[in-house]
Amino acid sequence: MMQTIAQIKNVTYRYKGAAENSLDRVSLSIKKGETLLLCGASGSGKTSVIRLLNGLIPHYYHGDMTGEVTVNGHDIAKTQLYELAGVVGTVFQNPRSQFFSVDTDGEIVFGPENIGLDPKEINARKEIIAKQMKLDKLLGRSLFELSGGEKQRIACASVAALLPEIILLDEPSSNLDMEAIGMLHDIVCDWKRQGKTIIISEHRLWYLKDLVDRVIYMDKGKISLQWSSKEFAELSETETRRLGLRPTRINEHYLALLSEQDDTRKGHVDIPEGILLKDFYFSYHHKPYIFRKKKFSAADGDALSLSIPELILPKGKVTAVIGSNGTGKSTFLRCVCGLEKDCTGVIISNGKEYRKRQRIGFSYMVMQDVNHQLFTDNVEKEVLLSMKDKNEKRCHEILDTLGLIEYKNTHPMALSGGQKQRVAIASAIAAGAELLLFDEPTSGLDYAHMEKVGDFLRQLADSGSTVLVSTHDPEFIEQCCDYTLRIKKGRLFSFQERNR
Amino acid sequence: MNDKKLQAKDFITIGIFTALLFVVEFACGILGFIHPYIVASYVVMIPIVGSIPMMLFYTKIEKFGMLSIMSVLLAIIMFVTGMGYLGAPLIIASGVIADLIAKSGGYKSFKKTIISYGVFCLWICANYFPVVVSADSYRKNLIDGGYSVEYCDNLFRAINSKTIAVLLVLCFVFGCVGALIGKTIVKKHFEKAGIV
Amino acid sequence: MSLKLDPRTKLYMIFVVSAVVMMSATAPFLWAVRITMTMIPILLLIVEKHYAAAFRFLIFYGTALLLTFRFLSEQSKGFLSAFLVGYCSIIVQFMPAMITAWYVVRTTKIGEFVCAMQKMHILDGITISLAVVMRFFPTIKEEYAAIRDAMKMRGIMLGGGNAAGMIEYRMIPLLFSCVNIGDELSAAAVTRGLGGKVKRTSVQVLKMSVADYLLMFLFTAALAVFVGSKYIG
Repeated sequence: MMQTIAQIKNVTYRYKGAAENSLDRVSLSIKKGETLLLCGASGSGKTSVIRLLNGLIPHYYHGDMTGEVTVNGHDIAKTQLYELAGVVGTVFQNPRSQFFSVDTDGEIVFGPENIGLDPKEINARKEIIAKQMKLDKLLGRSLFELSGGEKQRIACASVAALLPEIILLDEPSSNLDMEAIGMLHDIVCDWKRQGKTIIISEHRLWYLKDLVDRVIYMDKGKISLQWSSKEFAELSETETRRLGLRPTRINEHYLALLSEQDDTRKGHVDIPEGILLKDFYFSYHHKPYIFRKKKFSAADGDALSLSIPELILPKGKVTAVIGSNGTGKSTFLRCVCGLEKDCTGVIISNGKEYRKRQRIGFSYMVMQDVNHQLFTDNVEKEVLLSMKDKNEKRCHEILDTLGLIEYKNTHPMALSGGQKQRVAIASAIAAGAELLLFDEPTSGLDYAHMEKVGDFLRQLADSGSTVLVSTHDPEFIEQCCDYTLRIKKGRLFSFQERNR
Repeated sequence: MNDKKLQAKDFITIGIFTALLFVVEFACGILGFIHPYIVASYVVMIPIVGSIPMMLFYTKIEKFGMLSIMSVLLAIIMFVTGMGYLGAPLIIASGVIADLIAKSGGYKSFKKTIISYGVFCLWICANYFPVVVSADSYRKNLIDGGYSVEYCDNLFRAINSKTIAVLLVLCFVFGCVGALIGKTIVKKHFEKAGIV
Repeated sequence: MSLKLDPRTKLYMIFVVSAVVMMSATAPFLWAVRITMTMIPILLLIVEKHYAAAFRFLIFYGTALLLTFRFLSEQSKGFLSAFLVGYCSIIVQFMPAMITAWYVVRTTKIGEFVCAMQKMHILDGITISLAVVMRFFPTIKEEYAAIRDAMKMRGIMLGGGNAAGMIEYRMIPLLFSCVNIGDELSAAAVTRGLGGKVKRTSVQVLKMSVADYLLMFLFTAALAVFVGSKYIG
């Protein structure tokens, strides 16, 4: 009989200022050494459970709480957060915002320094952890130059350095590519082997199915279903879809396609007519120059971070841009929409040429973090800002088709993530962009929201826009993309039509 | 929030807003390289542009120490970036006094916040201290060295020990004006979005 | 060759240089001391392999010195020369402080700096805030770059034609982002024990070396010369 390490007893919780309870009479007991997965739609209370266990509720997020939480013998309500530091560790969703230091070493030792350990002990721990997690290449570097996956590994190391019995992970894979997810999987696997108790809240399920001992399904603040790992692995796709979950299995084809293992399937489709991209050459490393910058061209060869001499994008279709992080997807998108002004590429559509700044008018990118793209104090103004002629009627039409008309006087920042994304799209349409680019629009979304975005992109494509979307999300590609365009090291690797 | 003492979270918030305020100062500072007269206009630009983050900052912590610590941080950063330390007492004094004024209004009274921010803005004058202090000996040095008196007067017209009083007053006035502008913007955006 | 100076020495260097730039050099000897003091951080930059910066400062400072001395004997006339001389004299006056500050900022790790602050018995709260300030400069830069991109795409770089818009469109998204990041950062930091009652420790080892003492001595001497010449001589 294994002993219980954490217990939640009949907890109901409501965030300050919220209209509804986030948790509704939740009871859960977690055994020592168990690996537990929390799944369910966004807002189902997964994150709140994590916050109960690490004490952020009630000590950091204020609200009304009834019930009791005990973790490793500590009554959470009476325990200060810093006393829990060595007991519970948490890896958060966003790799960008959870680190405190600027360099990797400082980050790993941050926790132990806070609890006042002896420097010798801290250094010893750092070395052990760096060895265990194979971090030698990452040590001594600035956190700002790391990729999302590398940052997430450092976050894991930083948590592990406190040697907590219990490790919580709150949607850790949201911003990661396939390779990084693989590494995350290995880290969790190691922790499991060390006998840690692990609780993961996650939307992407396939990478966890061989790790978890028990799965909890949450719905509207309640624990509504529980599965053993075996039952979980056998869930059919219709079942998961009915529950609004992402599938527990992933098509081998995508696994290969997205994880760079498959280098054989090259194939290029021929598209007779479409949007022609020509001479897209670019590098972040400038050659030294004295008077004027040298323009990039094919002659720069291997020095180029992006080198696409010619590419025809199918009009009115959704094309997925894939490839692992740091291989040039973002650079490609940035160049296409004219943000990199040193890239000399030309876009030709319907016999019209778009160069340099003109590319900005022709195309529009919806960024991964849409918060950067919202400037005004209501949705209507936001859309009008993009219009040269400030046509209110047209603005209302656009808002109507996007289902945003009822929010026209709301502040964009008060909207949900999906709605913000649509406001950004509305601005793009208002600006008259024909080529719409999306930078990982579904990272961190649950199945239902992902499906919505997918439907939405289809709608855009069907109404004549050409959509280019960078993604790591196999389920999303499956759902809405017509073509997959794979970029590797800034070069076009393959361009295929997807069999739907 | 009932806890009157600053907590880890508050120190982080103070750090963030100090960084933002310093970025504002730095951005305006770069303009100063264009012409010395622009340097004098810091007293208008920084209080007004800085008021946007600052008015948000006022709503964020509402505990004694928020402005005092910020002023200490500003003094340290000014020192480390080679902008001198003669202004440090002024920076810290204006921070502490601003903090006390805001505290007397329980960090809620908008009138007190305006005055508090006006006082806080006096720190900007610390930028001029090295120039003012070195100005007299420097001016003499220039005249001895053969510069025209006219030129030297021209150079130091905007910044000298007499005008520093004027600059202080301007800082305060534009601080108060800035507080009003900043508050409007906070209402327009952050309150409407439900962040504050 | 590597020369790791203690952050406290570096702070002391800034202290001395900041004091000296506020006193004018009136005799050739004082000029010599002043220029030597400026050369030290430039040399240190070279030692730390910041060649480009060192070179730039050297050229800049040298040119300014040359111009100042060349024009110093003449009655300056005309707008251009007045402007130029004014410019150069300001550079000559305050450049040493800038160079030293640049050197210190570029070569000191934040951990070292925070540790030095701890050793000087500055309150934990202040050191925490200061560490956050340092961490946030690059964050603000990243966020601002993203916002600029978004503005370019919208064609509102000039704020739709008014100055208030120019500031508002930059400031508002930046503040929203920073507040969000700050909330997440605080949550992540407190779960790792920040804000506890125990005194924080630091893995940084700070030790004064011979070079530290030597530099401290040199700078103290330079300061003494200046103060002496000003108040005694």
